[in-house]
Amino acid sequence: MRDYWLSKLFFDMQTPANAAEYAADRETVLRRYPIKPEVLKSLQEDDVAALAPKVNPYLLRFYFFATGKSEAWFLEHIRALAGNKESANG
Amino acid sequence: MAELVGAFAASHGPLMARNWEGVGPQRLASVTRTFGELGRRFAECRPDVLIVVSPDHWVNFFIDNLPSVCIGVGEAHEGSPEPWLKVPFDNAIAGHPAFALHLAESALQRDFEPSLSHHLKLDHGFLIPLWKMGVAKLPPIVPIIVNIIEPPLPSFKRCYAWGQLIRQAIESYPENLRVAILATGGLSHSIGEPDMGRLDEEYDQQCFEQFKSGDIPALMSFLERRTEAAGNGAAEVRNWVVAHGTAHAHGFELLGYHPYQEWYIGCGFASWNLRA
Repeated sequence: MRDYWLSKLFFDMQTPANAAEYAADRETVLRRYPIKPEVLKSLQEDDVAALAPKVNPYLLRFYFFATGKSEAWFLEHIRALAGNKESANG
Repeated sequence: MAELVGAFAASHGPLMARNWEGVGPQRLASVTRTFGELGRRFAECRPDVLIVVSPDHWVNFFIDNLPSVCIGVGEAHEGSPEPWLKVPFDNAIAGHPAFALHLAESALQRDFEPSLSHHLKLDHGFLIPLWKMGVAKLPPIVPIIVNIIEPPLPSFKRCYAWGQLIRQAIESYPENLRVAILATGGLSHSIGEPDMGRLDEEYDQQCFEQFKSGDIPALMSFLERRTEAAGNGAAEVRNWVVAHGTAHAHGFELLGYHPYQEWYIGCGFASWNLRA
């Protein structure tokens, strides 16, 4: 099941100005999105395993790209979910 | 009366722009030759209008409004908003509203209900193949977006029927118009999933054989059985199925296969010999 507001945050990050604002002041940006506390916690911890089932995989990858994580970092974390692919697909 | 003059398919991927040379000189030369051949055939068919069937990578649509199929009927489309993509095309890309609306009306008359857009943004899926094919001047484009990104996805059978419908629309268009179709995407790849980077060459090769065979029930059965396991990006083969339907399932010719892990994609390129 997709988390709408988490997905919306990731979608909006495609606008470079939004990504820049998020990088500069993450807390202010997050206040605009009614994201559930447990999801917010996963976000703040860059918890790929917890976030993956809640958003489209393309948006998930894009979010970490936009927030400056390296491709190697993302691959390491997403591949750690192998064997549990169903959860990543939601 | 309009006629179908060309049908083509090509893979796309952001890393073809961001990491074009990352596959090494030999393999780069090989895929460049394939793109060149595709571009040569495209130029030879001299289309007045090009239908491009491609996904939307979260550029136009979001989960608050996600059409299964959307036809771009606008006078102009916008070039890619993806900041990393610099293509040699104007940012305002001409459409062909008269043919696009004829296609939409043909669809509605035959109980298909596409979404319509008068202003689409054309992302890398649309533009990278045309750029790499060396298309210097774009003909007017009628974009068709098929949702292959967020399940539930249109069935393969429906995509084939869409292809047939496109052919009927071309052949019932009253003006002389040379129309080509380009399907983009596929084949095996996985993005943002635990198997990201994995290619399924066996799947890709079997796909090509199935397209070549012209056996529609066998193709549908194979795609339904095998596509999901070939990675979420393999869903884009639906666009190839649309082109296959437009070509009446005849004359598929594989122009090149480049399974390049550096680009995360089992890259395939094809054209349909419409006289076959």
